[in-house]
Amino acid sequence: MTPRPLNARVVITGIGLVSPLGIGKAEVWEAARQGRSGAGPVTLFDASAHGAQIAFEVTGFDPLTFIDKRAARRMDRSSQLAVAAAGLAIEDAGLVIGADAERIGAVISTGNGGNATYEEAHHTLLTRGPERISPVALPMIICNMAAGHVSMTYGLQGPVSCILTACASSLHAIGEAADMIRRGAADVMLAGGSEAAVTPYAMGALDASRAMSHRNDDPTGASRPFDLNRDGFVLGEAGAVLVLERMDLALARNAPIIAEMSGYGATSDAHHITEPHPEGSEQARAMTRALASGQIDASTVDHVNAHATSTVAGDASEVHGIITALGGDHAASVAVSATKSMHGHCLGATGALEAALTTLAITHQMVPPTINLTDLDPACEGVDHVRTARAHRIRTALCSGFGFGGHNAVIALEAVTA
Amino acid sequence: MSTRRRVVITGIGIISGHGVGREDVWRNACNGMACTAPITDMELGTSPVTIAAQARDFVVDDFVERRLARRADRVTHFALAAAQLATADAGLTISADGRDTGIILGTGTGGNHVRDENYQTMIERGVDRISPFAIPYSMCNHPPAEVAMLLGLRGPTMAMVTACAAGTDAIGTATAIIRRGDADVMLSGGTDAMITPLWIAGFDAMRVLSHHQNDPATAPRPFDSSRDGFVIGEGAAILVLEEREHAVRRGASILCEVAGYGASADAHHITDPDPSGRSQARAMRAAIADAGIPAHEIDYVNAHGGASRPGDPSEIAAIRAALGEEHAARTAVSATKSMHGHCMGATGAIEGAFTALAVANGIIPPTINLTELDPECVGVDHVIGQARTTTLRAAMSSNNGLGGHNAAIVLLPWGGE
Repeated sequence: MTPRPLNARVVITGIGLVSPLGIGKAEVWEAARQGRSGAGPVTLFDASAHGAQIAFEVTGFDPLTFIDKRAARRMDRSSQLAVAAAGLAIEDAGLVIGADAERIGAVISTGNGGNATYEEAHHTLLTRGPERISPVALPMIICNMAAGHVSMTYGLQGPVSCILTACASSLHAIGEAADMIRRGAADVMLAGGSEAAVTPYAMGALDASRAMSHRNDDPTGASRPFDLNRDGFVLGEAGAVLVLERMDLALARNAPIIAEMSGYGATSDAHHITEPHPEGSEQARAMTRALASGQIDASTVDHVNAHATSTVAGDASEVHGIITALGGDHAASVAVSATKSMHGHCLGATGALEAALTTLAITHQMVPPTINLTDLDPACEGVDHVRTARAHRIRTALCSGFGFGGHNAVIALEAVTA
Repeated sequence: MSTRRRVVITGIGIISGHGVGREDVWRNACNGMACTAPITDMELGTSPVTIAAQARDFVVDDFVERRLARRADRVTHFALAAAQLATADAGLTISADGRDTGIILGTGTGGNHVRDENYQTMIERGVDRISPFAIPYSMCNHPPAEVAMLLGLRGPTMAMVTACAAGTDAIGTATAIIRRGDADVMLSGGTDAMITPLWIAGFDAMRVLSHHQNDPATAPRPFDSSRDGFVIGEGAAILVLEEREHAVRRGASILCEVAGYGASADAHHITDPDPSGRSQARAMRAAIADAGIPAHEIDYVNAHGGASRPGDPSEIAAIRAALGEEHAARTAVSATKSMHGHCMGATGAIEGAFTALAVANGIIPPTINLTELDPECVGVDHVIGQARTTTLRAAMSSNNGLGGHNAAIVLLPWGGE
């Protein structure tokens, strides 16, 4: 195979994060490196009647730092998080959006859109009647509005969309955005996701699907991927956006190139609506396809940021999938971390947040840890689990996301060598 | 250009107010049948709007096994039915491992009925009474996921959410996925079931719905001087997209080629389109360029035509800008939403299917309820009231969504080449 020409290569030039581990990439990386947890009791509403009462909330987020007051009032928190993260990403990339705005687009995903606004509007309908619903309610609820607001706030006039695959959403977003650049539909894409589902109904309904941790007395110890005593995921909220750029154009403007977005694989389990396939065979195929599409040799994969949500079935099938995709010998030497142990499961934003941490791992040549992994589940053995941050040579890293419905997405990122 | 994989349409499954299945729906559309009628099966309280274009002929038990039918949302029922109709229409047998076939479906908001019922349960009976299916069966990605499970599709599977442009973006993205080799077959389209008390109230609060309460069949009225907003419709359309060689090899009957896709954003206003239609025109031009044809070969545009006061003129302005004044004046334009209503995330797929059938059959379905053309909507050849028989060199379907999303696809007749 001939190597891709520069105008068919896509690089990451900016990262914007608003997350339970902090705001801005520096703060988030420092917290991740130290193995801090962003979890605590739910403060955004009274969760005392709920089964799951803990969450990874974004604290210290003032939307007015990023968005003018009038606009912020017309945005659900999920859109506010997306707009803030996009602003940070644009700044990080040193991107000036001017005459070329028509060549810049966005794919901003979510799991569920404007939850808080939905609940308020439905409550109004039930208690006060249809004529009392706010005219801005519907636009604040729909899942594509975070992408719409990012486009409007920063003047992006290229392709703007929202891809939705539950917990894999923002990895599909990154993969499809990179393809848009490769096929010439845009030169620069903002890609990522946002989620603000720490609300009474969304949390109650997620808990009803029996996938959440009830370790309410130990918030920071509750998200424990790969650990024998894991009992489900802990909900997080976040906005996470990457700037993807055509490599020749990034070089021409002397952009800060952080890593290369080289490969993308998407598959479907066609197995069960909430359970992954126990052997992770289609997850493995998503990894294999990500490597193949990037023309990457599996032996160069040094790090995997796993989806690993801390559910009993999911974590084990994922390790199975990694071993299948990379081969047993090589998998044993691959540094695997599940950063959800520190930032929780941010649903539609989680893939982009983890892709950002994977990118930062490549930059710093250091692997962030899986915290709370005290007793490794024998069903999760076979890879090199990283329990404290470790300096590590990373040539290629994979980042995986798997969603309810059997959606699998994997992206392959590479260190850029001059 | 010569090495690019080409994508053709080999099957259509469709459900709307016009009926169930391609034949019924197409015949009724070409006959100019209006689908708007009073909503009779729903408690709407004091809602000032009680009309919609419901898919009245749809019987869920014909397509979905009973347990799933009971638990899953109407939006998923539509998708499961449309997928079965589409694969049957295409004579398609899914490969044994399903790995060469994926699905991408547009939707506006996913499983509204499931979400609304469970929210109400929480309010009335407590948080611990929410169903375990509340999240999985209301997710926007549930319809494509459930179809993937039913048919054993293991290729790329996702939902596209760009409001009213979602069905068009889904077809365009599925085309890109086949072209780049990530699948040989993609089911693509959209599904929506948004005729619910909450959405009717939410849309009406935005003042975008028609209030033709007393004479429902005369609404909506795209491009008409007296238009007063859209009518909510529901349904699904799924198109079988196939890599050309794959289709030819299995002897499939090819309807037309998906030759071009373009998308853009207004970055203008959250609910109103850019009045200049500048960005919409850009999406159309991008789709035409992607198809590799001159703009003057577009003989038909299936317009978004949402019957909104600001939206219709800006769309006509966009068509004129994209095709050039001279050619636009000769280009047949129809807004089939005048008949089937605004089916939200499904609408781009239903209209994409109509555009494909127009190209394949040489018949253009009409805009109905257009009695007095708004002077702001002139400059194209409106197909009014009755279907028109003609040969099309190329056709375009265009849609725009709340949030400023614009998408267009270009379809070409299949000459057997």
